[in-house]
Amino acid sequence: MDALTDLAAGFADALTPINLLFAFIGVLLGTAVGVLPGIGPAMTVALLLPVTYVLEPTSAFIMFAGIYYGGMYGGSTTSILLNTPGEASSIMTALEGNKMAKAGRGAAALATAAIGSFVAGTIGTLLLALVAPTVVDLAIGITAADYFALAVFAFVAVATVLGASPLRGLASLGLGLYLGLVGTDVLTGQERFTVGVPQLSDGIDVVVVAVALFAVGEALYVASRLRHGPVQVMDASGPYMTRSDLRRSWAPWLRGTALGFPFGALPAGGAEIPTFLSYASERRLTKHPEEFGKGAIEGVAGPEAANNAAAAGVLVPLLTLGLPTSATAAILLAAFQGYGIQPGPTLLTTESTLVWTLIAALFIGNTMLLVLNLPLAGVWVKLLRIPRPYLYAGILLFASLGCYAVNADPLDLVLLLLLGGLGFVMRRYGWPVAPAIIGLILGPIAETNLRRALAISGGDLSVLVDTWFSRIVLLLSFLALVVPIVLRVVRGRRSTPEELQETGELRHHETAAANREGGEGS
Amino acid sequence: MTAPEPVPAPPGDVGSPATGPPETAAARAGRNNGELALTVLLGVLGVYLVVDAGSIAVPGSASNVGPRFFPYLVGGLIIVTAVALGVRVFLGDRGPADESEDVDLTAGTDWRAVGIIAAAFLAHALLINVIGWPLAVTLMFGTIAWALGARGIVRPLLAGGITSVVVWIVFVKALNVALPGGTFLELATSWF
Repeated sequence: MDALTDLAAGFADALTPINLLFAFIGVLLGTAVGVLPGIGPAMTVALLLPVTYVLEPTSAFIMFAGIYYGGMYGGSTTSILLNTPGEASSIMTALEGNKMAKAGRGAAALATAAIGSFVAGTIGTLLLALVAPTVVDLAIGITAADYFALAVFAFVAVATVLGASPLRGLASLGLGLYLGLVGTDVLTGQERFTVGVPQLSDGIDVVVVAVALFAVGEALYVASRLRHGPVQVMDASGPYMTRSDLRRSWAPWLRGTALGFPFGALPAGGAEIPTFLSYASERRLTKHPEEFGKGAIEGVAGPEAANNAAAAGVLVPLLTLGLPTSATAAILLAAFQGYGIQPGPTLLTTESTLVWTLIAALFIGNTMLLVLNLPLAGVWVKLLRIPRPYLYAGILLFASLGCYAVNADPLDLVLLLLLGGLGFVMRRYGWPVAPAIIGLILGPIAETNLRRALAISGGDLSVLVDTWFSRIVLLLSFLALVVPIVLRVVRGRRSTPEELQETGELRHHETAAANREGGEGS
Repeated sequence: MTAPEPVPAPPGDVGSPATGPPETAAARAGRNNGELALTVLLGVLGVYLVVDAGSIAVPGSASNVGPRFFPYLVGGLIIVTAVALGVRVFLGDRGPADESEDVDLTAGTDWRAVGIIAAAFLAHALLINVIGWPLAVTLMFGTIAWALGARGIVRPLLAGGITSVVVWIVFVKALNVALPGGTFLELATSWF
């Protein structure tokens, strides 16, 4: 097979000692930063972006592959060992993982998560390698109008399907689209919304916005409501996987992978929904229903595999279409652009070596994670005990570094603080941050394609629904916009992870009044 | 859990265990004026986009889909969203406040810590080109750690100082990132 030959060539490029070193550093940094509480995968990638500034693209992307998977894995370690909710995609892992750690089976929980991540990551990356060339073949004839339709779909899906409140998602998307407009219009060279500040004519740097919304916004938000008192970290104690643990884990790993990859690969990607579904299905299929809610290993194995498979799936639209569908993918896209590489259907031909090296590096990083994580669990536990005042002061220190390193301009830091304030109020009122990042990065690409399509048609808007592809995608976008809102009105909100743990069923609440009682979306 | 009303923490409250009173369902159903203000600001942004888009110069050669088209679209989307969200918030709808590992959703808002951190960050931004990144960031680190309840003054400053100097050496000397080190550190490391 063609893909396998290319992949072998990618391995040949990635398996040099120096590149293995970069992969190792990436995995180590990604996991260490990802383990830190309050830092999700997107923030991990954003904060570590400056480390790669000086590297040449191949090494940088090998390191990124490690950071990407390392950050994902680090997040689940945090949620197993800390008895507090973390980022959306590892909430489901935390439900049972936490109970297991409390019952003295922390090591087994970490082991099933690590091996599950490895299995899902390997299968997911293999599927990525096999699917990507096919998707590129299909996408090569795509028109500007089709691409615009895809972008609209990604916007709507990220804003309304994920997150608790569709309108708040749209508000966040609008903010991101606005930030993407600031600067010089690429097609005509006109300045837009720069309010007379010369530095803004180059546009607002994506790194600044990402670090501001994630790192600074999060630090300010946590500072406003810091959980005081001693930090409770559970020990990674007990035996590693027993024979019975393994017997109960392998099927959930595979089922989680099967759920996670397609959901990640859809432009409605993200790991939240597949981890949710995985937990619900494991709960229904288990032979030990009495253990659910008290630390069932299936409830860790399934969602964790789904989480990592989704992370691999997200790379399909990113590498084949240049379409980011999660905040982390959006930051990766920004990193590509930083090297003057524009992901899209032509990427696999123009930057073939780079892409296949990246995919090979994903395999390598994934394997390194497995080898690293079981023995290093004790180190991660120590990292979790960092006193919180130092942790958040440190996050802001690195935010300052990453942001200042972009342009060496203190004005960027003032902008960072202002946008960080925006991130703070968004968190406070439950506006999701991811749609803003997607809007910022995908907005200019969507505009370029829209105007290209309209320029060809001479301004006739019907060109946007000229092909069946764009008609179907725009129809799906419309449904993605309307259905969640209608569902909400008709059936109330989605059940929360805690309720899912109680009942094992995804359900919608009877009345909208329940919305206020529980007050918590999912 | 929903956001409690913004209750300014009394000064000096930092460090004591958070004891926010559990809110009643009635209090939760109330209108959230903070979010209402944010939604109004969003609407103002939308109007600004639409109005200011009209003043973007359109070069003669451009057709009717010039640089104004997309801003109108975005402005329109923002206005519609702001109006719809504004009505929902006015009627008492609340979003779930973000959950995070270190966030205590039952605690009142500690505006003092937020204010100190913002001020410290702004000060460090203005000081970087004067006293160098490591020193500016050390002062910021110390102030933030203090505002978040770290004990003592020496230890936070020492922790920040060591971290910033190590980071500066790694990034400037090994990775060639441009970061002003301040007179002393640049002299001391010029032999690298």
